[in-house]
Amino acid sequence: MEFSFILNGKRVVCDISDNQTLLDLLRDSLGVTSVKKGCEQGECGACTVLLDGEPVTSCLVLARRIEGREVTTVEGLVDDPKMKSLREAFLEEGAVQCGYCTPGMLLSAYSLIRSNLDPTEAQVKKAIEGNLCRCTGYVKIIEAIIHAAKKLKSE
Amino acid sequence: MKPLPSFLIHRPRTVNEALKMLSELEKAKPIAGGTDLLPLLRDRVVEAKNLIDISLIPELRGIKEGRNEIRIGAATKIKDVEKSRIIFEKAPVLCDAASSIGSPQIRNLGTIGGNICNASPAADSAPSLLVLDAYAEVVSSKGSREIPVKEVFKGPKRNSLRPDELLISIKFPEPFDTSTMSFQKLGRRRGYTIAQVNVAVLLEFDGPVCCDAKISVGAAASTPIRIYEAEERLWNKRLTEEIIEDASTQCMRAVDPIDDVRASAEYRREMSHVLVRRCLMEAWNKARRLM
Amino acid sequence: MEYANILQDLLKRDEYLIVGKKVARTDALDKVLGRALFTADYVPKGTMVVKVVRSLQPHALIRKIDYKEALKIPGVIRVITASDIPGENQIGYALPDQPFLNDAKVHYVGDPLALVCASDEYSASEAVDAIKVEYNALPSHLTVDSALASDAIPIHDGGNIAVKTRIRKGDVAKGFKESTVEVEETYETPYQEHMYLETEAAYAIPEGSDKVTVIGTMQSPFLVREKVAKILGWSLSQVRIIQALTGGAFGKKDDMGPLVCAEAALAAVLVGKPAARIYDRDESVAYTPKRFPARFRYRSGADSEGKLKAIEVEITLECGAYANRSPFWLWRQTAHAAGPYYVPNAAIDGKAVYTNKVYGGSFRGFGDLAMQFAAESQMDRLAEKINIDPIEFRLKNILKTGLTTTCDQLLDHSVGIEECLRRVAEASNWSKYVPCKEGSRVRGLGVGCAYHGISTSRGTPDWSACSLILNQDGTFTYRTGICELGQGSPIGHAKIVSEIVGAPLDFIHVELPDTSSTPDAKPTHGSRGLMLGGTAAADAALKLRDNMLKVAAEMLECREDEVELKGGEAFERGTPSNKISFSELAEELYARGISPASYGFYASPKRYFDPETGLGVNYSVYTFAASVAEVEVDLETGETTVLKVWPAMDVGKAIDPLMIEGQIEGAVSQGIGFALMENLILEDGVVLNPFFKDYIIPSALDTPEIAKPILVEKPYKHSAFGAKGVGEPAIISIVPAIVNAIHNATGIRFNTLPITAERLYDAIRRSRQ
Ligand SMILES: Cc1cc2nc3c(=O)[nH]c(=O)nc-3n(C[C@H](O)[C@H](O)[C@H](O)COP(=O)(O)OP(=O)(O)OC[C@H]3O[C@@H](n4cnc5c(N)ncnc54)[C@H](O)[C@@H]3O)c2cc1C
Ligand code: FES
Ligand code: FES
Repeated sequence: MEFSFILNGKRVVCDISDNQTLLDLLRDSLGVTSVKKGCEQGECGACTVLLDGEPVTSCLVLARRIEGREVTTVEGLVDDPKMKSLREAFLEEGAVQCGYCTPGMLLSAYSLIRSNLDPTEAQVKKAIEGNLCRCTGYVKIIEAIIHAAKKLKSE
Repeated sequence: MKPLPSFLIHRPRTVNEALKMLSELEKAKPIAGGTDLLPLLRDRVVEAKNLIDISLIPELRGIKEGRNEIRIGAATKIKDVEKSRIIFEKAPVLCDAASSIGSPQIRNLGTIGGNICNASPAADSAPSLLVLDAYAEVVSSKGSREIPVKEVFKGPKRNSLRPDELLISIKFPEPFDTSTMSFQKLGRRRGYTIAQVNVAVLLEFDGPVCCDAKISVGAAASTPIRIYEAEERLWNKRLTEEIIEDASTQCMRAVDPIDDVRASAEYRREMSHVLVRRCLMEAWNKARRLM
Repeated sequence: MEYANILQDLLKRDEYLIVGKKVARTDALDKVLGRALFTADYVPKGTMVVKVVRSLQPHALIRKIDYKEALKIPGVIRVITASDIPGENQIGYALPDQPFLNDAKVHYVGDPLALVCASDEYSASEAVDAIKVEYNALPSHLTVDSALASDAIPIHDGGNIAVKTRIRKGDVAKGFKESTVEVEETYETPYQEHMYLETEAAYAIPEGSDKVTVIGTMQSPFLVREKVAKILGWSLSQVRIIQALTGGAFGKKDDMGPLVCAEAALAAVLVGKPAARIYDRDESVAYTPKRFPARFRYRSGADSEGKLKAIEVEITLECGAYANRSPFWLWRQTAHAAGPYYVPNAAIDGKAVYTNKVYGGSFRGFGDLAMQFAAESQMDRLAEKINIDPIEFRLKNILKTGLTTTCDQLLDHSVGIEECLRRVAEASNWSKYVPCKEGSRVRGLGVGCAYHGISTSRGTPDWSACSLILNQDGTFTYRTGICELGQGSPIGHAKIVSEIVGAPLDFIHVELPDTSSTPDAKPTHGSRGLMLGGTAAADAALKLRDNMLKVAAEMLECREDEVELKGGEAFERGTPSNKISFSELAEELYARGISPASYGFYASPKRYFDPETGLGVNYSVYTFAASVAEVEVDLETGETTVLKVWPAMDVGKAIDPLMIEGQIEGAVSQGIGFALMENLILEDGVVLNPFFKDYIIPSALDTPEIAKPILVEKPYKHSAFGAKGVGEPAIISIVPAIVNAIHNATGIRFNTLPITAERLYDAIRRSRQ
């Protein structure tokens, strides 16, 4: 069935079968490859997107159910000042290794600092607990998020 | 792993529409957040030809404070329960349980009704709802009924609803201002994980005397359970550590856990003792601060 | 002259411009923008899907594979079995014991039997279910003891012992006679799953009738090419392998790269259509190689002075269904059995044993992680018996320049373990620490040391190569077969090049490895990526630098030794205003026909080794590490929390401190997982927890505080700037540090990992009875 939703600020119309997930729709039909597949069980967070601004695992969302709603991925936040600040901090702090978890991690971090520019370490850890990373041991990711928030706050 | 089987999604706007679909469509099943259902469909553990998406039905969403009663729409997200002012003030034990469920991504999708209807013995909201004496409002096109939340659980991943029934809301009487509560969960890491054991308690005091006590343990039997024989040991007593220890020991005897990949039955039994004691101590300490 | 001095001399700089500095990774930009492409991102919608039909039995003879029904399913294009393989049906790494597709026998639950090619996931999955396999079940060996029984039926021809190793040094009987204390224990370590976030993937495109290109996840493009060509029965030049960005590897993609690429390539070639092969998470966990489980019987003796006198070690390695890397893994354990200590007398025997379970393979730390958990536990036990401080005891025996390893290899330079150990002791305030107790929680401190030979062992020659081109616009194109897996070795190479040719880092473009244009650099494993690859990079850069200097001197009208290359410009040292840009310089090189390109090569020094005694120069150099960990144990639940870790490593030279810190922190997290929570559960050979849900790895909330890693620099004289490999050693010392800290806190010592809350709780309860 045909339906439309807002992807990164633009309305898109798509026509897919009911058993397709949002993850498949984004990757296979819309070419949004920043959204990664790591388990298809909601357990790794690599497929995280913002749905109406909140992080969700897109592998557990049936695509039809996002009709009329807003989906945001890192591609849609290229010019966003908060995301920019996070990106810079990730690069400077060395928070990126293989990069497979990175887009999802950035979105969870973004969702945190959008409402909290002064997060504690514990809050940062809780915000990204659903984004597993096997390379970095999280230390530099946590530092990067705290730094980005601090920098934004001081601006 | 298998791809998702094929099915159709229906998106009713009213309860009646949903009930009609549930009773008329072949192999119909409600879907709320889908966080439990999608993996089960993939594994072919659950079969469905028609998924009835209940997320657009306004009646099923939101948290309301009625006269001496709190109502949570079945399709209310875990996240909204966790962040609710009302729940935080009146039933913090449910707030704590909600914030322990899954990751932020899961809490943004999963619902309280789904957590109950999925009927996992480890469902984290269950012990809290059980000590709050919550009941489930269940309707079908033939009528409606209200049953204690405990009775929604029939066995591991089996609920007591008929296929044409829908859970509409969960309600519980507003606890007294003097009630104190505690929730504890034990898992295999600090980050999100399924409970090896989870426990909730609620205590009420009349001056220094404990006049009511409720204890519930999850993941330690085929369904979450209340442990009345332990509760009784606290009634009308001035609590001491010995009394609490005695009640906790009672809980350990009452549970009937299984061995699985997450923990042995033995460990679960021992941990229900530890967690119950910790919850009781915490609730008692909160009460003493109020006294 | 030592390499580092040569460079210092040539570059005439007191301080390096880029090497040793924290510089943001140029390759990370695309990753934060979401533009980095991994294998699956290249696959167009509608590409033919390949799935593997696997054995459901642990050990059985195959009577029949019947796929008639599968072919009737709409969308199913072809089913491929062993008899369709045009080349050799063999993918074994060390031994030829591993058919690519099995047609005679299955060796574990998950053994591949056939490939299904279909137009989509649905039909492929249906076809897999529709294929009927008939077996004659054989008794299965699910433990090494069962496989070693005298009447055990063999899993492979030649019996159930795949390989044996041995070292004899000094006189062990004499050593134990001289000992006043002795400790003998048996240790066991489990499987560990890599759980990288990106599962195995390959996308193969046939070209014409006799060529194929494969884009995939891997660690060794040239090994992949060799295996794919062998299975297709083609020459190497008919196969082109491109490594896409790889989402974590940790060793397993060295084993899985060839397999997944061959699966896609065979399907693509036989069907004549592009093919995508992407592993599901549960498939990756249940059926692909793990860290090898092992058992160590370990006896050690020391005298009253606290000097180690003798060790006697018996290693039983469980291969699982295939030998795969076990000969190398076992040898590493054999060679490193003593830990980083001097022991005059050693007898070490190892055997690798087949069982009917998922097989082992490469994993960060290789055999050393498990081996040194045993060795370091022994050290703590001896110290306790002699009644001296564990660090003091270690320092009495620690390897130093001038001492020999158990292989009798004389260490003549680059031995920084003593400094690592002293500095972590100081940083953690070791000597003043008092284990404390609060309520049900107790705390304790533990130490672990490690050493790890870099790259290949024994006499095996080791080399690396690369190419460097100066483009007309003054930028550089750098090609290396060393893969970027997240660890950042190629960017490390770029830093070395950048330092030597005097170009800013963003002038150096690192190409993804492509066997059609990239020089073979041998695999990205054994922590060799930066040390060997980087030294080849230095060689290429030095050669190109010579040509650049020659032409620049003429253009600047000065002497060659007066030319400085810096910031993308060439100028006269005394008169910096006399300068030309690299683009001007490049054009001149092209115009004069002076080569703007160079080929870099580096070979490890030749080594002597005697396979009979196991003595000789075993590894060309060792990286050393020490860690202290503080843990808190909840005595009522058995939960352990790692509170803080103080890591130190002798890295030779830190080319990029930020990247090394990242490697250490990642290793600490994986080490915590291995020590405390990661637990693959098998029943009758079937993996019961193939998802993140029940194969628990550390999350952000399980991250301890990690003190700023102490980097000790004892340069290695045969590598660029003196750098040594860092990827693996970091994980080795953390595990014993945690185990020893748990002992310090609770008085309980574990010989078996992981120390889950439940196991610790049981042990606490037993200790009280
Ligand atoms: C990664 C991950 C982590 C998780 N962690 C936890 C955890 O820590 N603790 C925990 O308790 N759970 C956890 N869960 C399970 C799950 O997220 C929760 O149980 C969640 O609350 C389920 O809600 P849902 O709306 O997604 O349910 P759904 O999947 O939509 O439904 C679950 C079942 O209930 C039925 N159902 C749903 N709503 C109704 C209704 N109103 N009337 C009748 N039937 C209905 C559905 O038909 C289905 O059978 C986790 C899940 C994942 C994927
Ligand atoms: S792919 Fe969605 S959470 Fe892993
Ligand atoms: S950087 Fe590799 S998984 Fe996070």
